[in-house]
Amino acid sequence: MTLNPALVESPTIEVDDVSKWFGQKVAVSNVTCSFGPGVTGLLGPNGAGKTTMLRMLTGLIRPSQGAIRVLGVWPRTSPSVYSSIGLVPEEAAVYPSMTAREYVRYAATLSGVTDIHAATERAIDAVALDDAADRKLAGYSKGMRQRAKVAASLVSDPQILLLDEPLNGTDPVQRLHLISLFRRLGDEGRTIIVSSHILEEVERMSDRVIAVVDGRLAAAGDVAAIRSAMSDIPYRVRVETDRTRVLAARLLEESLVHGVSVEDGVLHVETGDLTALGKRVPAVAREVDARITSFRPEDASLESVFRYLVRKR
Amino acid sequence: MRAASAITVATIRQVLGFRRAIIFGLAALAPALVFLLTTQALVDEAALDRFIGMVIGLYFPLLVPIVALIISASALGDERRDGTLSFLVLRPIPRSVISTSKIIGAIAVASALNALGAAAVGAVYGLETGSWGLVIPLVVGGVVASIVYASIFVPLGFFTDRAVLIGLAFVLIFENGVVSALSGLSSLSPWRLGMSAFSGLAPAEVASQLTDTGIANLAGLGSTLLRTMLILIISIVGTTLVLRRRDLA
Repeated sequence: MTLNPALVESPTIEVDDVSKWFGQKVAVSNVTCSFGPGVTGLLGPNGAGKTTMLRMLTGLIRPSQGAIRVLGVWPRTSPSVYSSIGLVPEEAAVYPSMTAREYVRYAATLSGVTDIHAATERAIDAVALDDAADRKLAGYSKGMRQRAKVAASLVSDPQILLLDEPLNGTDPVQRLHLISLFRRLGDEGRTIIVSSHILEEVERMSDRVIAVVDGRLAAAGDVAAIRSAMSDIPYRVRVETDRTRVLAARLLEESLVHGVSVEDGVLHVETGDLTALGKRVPAVAREVDARITSFRPEDASLESVFRYLVRKR
Repeated sequence: MRAASAITVATIRQVLGFRRAIIFGLAALAPALVFLLTTQALVDEAALDRFIGMVIGLYFPLLVPIVALIISASALGDERRDGTLSFLVLRPIPRSVISTSKIIGAIAVASALNALGAAAVGAVYGLETGSWGLVIPLVVGGVVASIVYASIFVPLGFFTDRAVLIGLAFVLIFENGVVSALSGLSSLSPWRLGMSAFSGLAPAEVASQLTDTGIANLAGLGSTLLRTMLILIISIVGTTLVLRRRDLA
């Protein structure tokens, strides 16, 4: 029985007191955690060290201190383990002159896949890119490129899949499709790590979360525990409407609203329950005949939530 | 083997897109065109002088290095800049396969373009004089120089985005300036290695005429090929070590 929520019982990836610094900048600081079968969300604001963590897990960069073992080995010195690892990086990482089919086939060839044709078609089908597979990647939208990268990482049927902000740039339909794909892969017993800076996104994909802030482990455990830890500090939401003051006055009557302020004609609402507020604000707006043109959590607010978790830890 | 050939083919496609193929193809033919316009109606001896002038004034010191360094610098440099290097290195293949394939891909393209330029110049000379014995030596010279430039600029492209700029400074200032003034440094000039190979294979009167120009201390063919192979091997080993040891952030 594992008591530390950052550790799992049958790990495929072990991170042992790992730090990484680039000159004077500390990107990851003394992180110890492990990952096993299923989907784990790697949550944290932009610049928290998520990408550095994923790059260290694959061996692309070495830890300055500590040790990482993937399937029992450090990948950098045991390249054969790469047949079991797939990485979907956040940056472009595609060859613009190739079609998606050529790109996935290239990945299959380099990964030593035996039946390249079948594996390529299976991977393209998994991300629903069949119709566009013969178009050049240069003409792809960001969301389509993300799917092509996912297909290229799936083509070798990896046991471990690391995805760095894979939903960036995807439309709602693509998003739903990818989320259900990641869930299915996790249910099949693969180790899936998905990084994101959006809790709601991670919540829909994974049951377990590792939260990092400023390179440090901020929280770990199931999503409900993380939510509960976050519930006692407010989110700040930016609401744009044509009846700012009327809506502000009405929202103050709502128990889930901790406070409101109006700055430059924009309404800022503080709440402890972002999801409930998201459902309540449209209803309240209808009551006072206000039209909502924008409703979004402020990034600074999310970062303060993450920082709060670090302090609490 | 399958991975090596896939990387080599992908590298060839990457460094020689359609637009580049047209531009470099036309550039490769430029010396032949200039030669064609300036040799008509010359007697054989004057045509040979003009041919040697073309080879030591335009083909080796400008066309070969510029084509080879632009092609070579992008072989690994584009992968690093576009973030596709992680796509390559996170595969169950030795890093030596990656480095060898990238260098071979760059050599194939640079050599093909420079060989095209050499063949065109040699063909114009052959058509004018009926003597075709200089085509193969010039092609070999272009290929040898391309190998050396690729060996230097493929790894340099990995380290810096300014590899082409550094390469141009190396060619124009060091090779075509400093080395031209101090012929004792000619062994440090890749295009002079190519010229040594050309000289080693060319008929004796052409070789002696090249030596008389004093543009380089021309080495023998065997020594030139040995040096070229050595530089290539050092480049492959060095690039492999860099790919193994450096963080690929």
